[in-house]
Amino acid sequence: MARSSRLHQAEHRWALAFVAAPVLGYVLFTAYPVGFALYTSMTQWNGLGAMRFIGLDNYVRLFGDQYFWQSMGNTVFYMVGIPIGLALSLALAIGMNRAIPLRSMLRTVYYVPVISSLAAIAILWQWAYNGDFGLVNQFLAWFGIDGPNWLASTVWAKPAIVIMLIWKGLGYSMILYLAAIQSVPRALYEAAELDGANGWQKFRTITLPMVRPVTFFLVVTQVIAGSQIFTEINIMTPTGGPEYSTASSVFHIWRQAFRYQDMGYGTAMAIMLGILILIITLVQFRLNQRNSFVLD
Amino acid sequence: MRKSRLASGMVAALVLAGTAACSAGSSTDDDGKLTFMFRGGEDEKAAYQEAIDRFSADTGVEVEVIVTDADQYATKLQAAISGNNVPDVFYIEQASLQSYVTSGVLLDITDLVAESGVDLENIWEYGVDSYRYDGRLQGTPDGALYGLPKDVGPFALGYNKTMLEEEGIDLPDQDEPLTWDEWLDIMEQVTKDTNGDGKIDQWGTGLNVQWNLQALAWSNGADWTNADKTEVTVDTPEMAEALQYIADMTTVEEVTPSSEQQATLDTYQRWMEGELAFFPVGPWDVSTYNELDFEYDLIPYPAGATGEPATWIGSLGIGVSATTAMPEEATELVTYLSADATAQQTLVDAGIQVPNLKDMAAEWAAEEDVQPANRQEFLDIVEDYGRPMPAAVTYGAAWYDEMWTNIQPVLDGKQTAAEYLAEVQPRMQQLLDESNMQAEQAAAANETE
Repeated sequence: MARSSRLHQAEHRWALAFVAAPVLGYVLFTAYPVGFALYTSMTQWNGLGAMRFIGLDNYVRLFGDQYFWQSMGNTVFYMVGIPIGLALSLALAIGMNRAIPLRSMLRTVYYVPVISSLAAIAILWQWAYNGDFGLVNQFLAWFGIDGPNWLASTVWAKPAIVIMLIWKGLGYSMILYLAAIQSVPRALYEAAELDGANGWQKFRTITLPMVRPVTFFLVVTQVIAGSQIFTEINIMTPTGGPEYSTASSVFHIWRQAFRYQDMGYGTAMAIMLGILILIITLVQFRLNQRNSFVLD
Repeated sequence: MRKSRLASGMVAALVLAGTAACSAGSSTDDDGKLTFMFRGGEDEKAAYQEAIDRFSADTGVEVEVIVTDADQYATKLQAAISGNNVPDVFYIEQASLQSYVTSGVLLDITDLVAESGVDLENIWEYGVDSYRYDGRLQGTPDGALYGLPKDVGPFALGYNKTMLEEEGIDLPDQDEPLTWDEWLDIMEQVTKDTNGDGKIDQWGTGLNVQWNLQALAWSNGADWTNADKTEVTVDTPEMAEALQYIADMTTVEEVTPSSEQQATLDTYQRWMEGELAFFPVGPWDVSTYNELDFEYDLIPYPAGATGEPATWIGSLGIGVSATTAMPEEATELVTYLSADATAQQTLVDAGIQVPNLKDMAAEWAAEEDVQPANRQEFLDIVEDYGRPMPAAVTYGAAWYDEMWTNIQPVLDGKQTAAEYLAEVQPRMQQLLDESNMQAEQAAAANETE
């Protein structure tokens, strides 16, 4: 306040310039698109020509759109895979943390799906799920099980996609869990051993609480990513599956916006989805706050 | 202190770099170069590149090519248009034509094409008329021209000649369509266990309802809408009969692989393995099917109550952007790709399409020792009895897609076709009403702008 020499004025201007850059970036790449999307959601627009303002009509229509809710339901169903995937990857991480032969090779193998192209993976699984020639059914046939035509069945198409999602996410969660497990102080385990704790007790009272931040992070990010699942669905079931049973929210939005050129309506649904994700994420943070504890 | 200033400096640099890259991307082409955006596989891309190179050599107009995969094309084109980065020349789908026209994206090229001296009489009427639009109906002969056909795709029926010969069945006539009963009779004869393992391994056919109901419905006197595309007419006995016929093939007559095995890939694969007697053949299939180790040929689709065969023709068009800086050159490229004899020959030789030009097509059909021998059937479809897909000439396709979404119970024999059609008609009608309304409003909004 008191200092206002010429030197400091120059510094002030520089500071403003530096502050302006990210603010400008924010306005240009975040605030403007969001504002534009909000406006678009209140118009009738085919994505090409003039926009026609129609207020909240798109939102009203959305509540009566059975396919929107069906696709929402499907998306929620896909999230069943998240807890299963986390449990599996934690188990794997514990396994990979032991001195077993070929450990680093195994770690790599589990990580390969994470870095592979999503489209390639989707096509691979599409073949694997083929009712007649698919790997999955040939495998089941060894055990005398006559597998369904997975992706063409209203009952099996969703579980099939969940299995694929779990498989794909395993390596990523495993690596994070592995890092978390390795950073648990050895002293805690040693103290527990002195008190006569067995393996299960050590896992339940030390490992599990200590990796909780990672679990939280994974749940939040995977719920957000899961809400936006699209590529796998679009490639594996390009029509949204039998009776629209595999269509995800984003798939439905994309179909409205691009296939039917109903950009305004698609945007309204996208905003609705964004709001729902925001609410779910806030709830998760809230729950986590209540559960978290500080290690003294 | 120093460190954080460095960091924010870097952020600023990144932001500026991002902005710069962005504005560079959206600059319009004033450099005398045409941009041409299309879609296709590797073969198609190579054939088109060859044709375009010759165009550039002949006219001195440089063409920058943007090519995408088929399933990304519509999305990318729309994104380019929203970003004011419209290619000068691009493919248009029949089904999108109306919204592109009402939104002022496509140039009316009626006069430019007339001036160019292209003989439209020598191009399939169906192909040319698909890109005519009079502001209310598409496909009418007196509408303004918004593009020329890239190709026409007649969807014919093929049969496995080798199989029928082995089974001692008379080959179906090329000109006189089978009746539905005759067709079924042949399919029943071929459906059997050929290697004695107790499992059926040879079938009559395996049709995907979404691509084959049209042929059966139309030939039975049914249609999806009335003539001016305002009423959905799928709830007729004729439509129900056609849909039931397809469903019964699987559930009652059992002349197809079972319903669970009927995902498209499977029957396509089975046809190629020589396990099916009848299967659709499009011009785009020919180069693949000619590699198979059995002989096949084309026949008209079997005829329903009208006694006349029917089927659909796909088509893609090539149009010009309304904002292009070089309308003459752009139109020249369109006419070149669609109607130039040398360019057509290049594309036909690549085995990816039927000739657009009638005289060239006549020669092509008369060629000896080619597969399928009855190439003429493709031309008959284009010239005489093929029709556009029901959704190809309406403003949106949501109403049409609605028909397929919940159709599985019918195909599984759990619901009758008549019941289902009565149930789905009001839903389709509502969606068609909505899209017709949107078409009017979009047109009105653009007029007032």
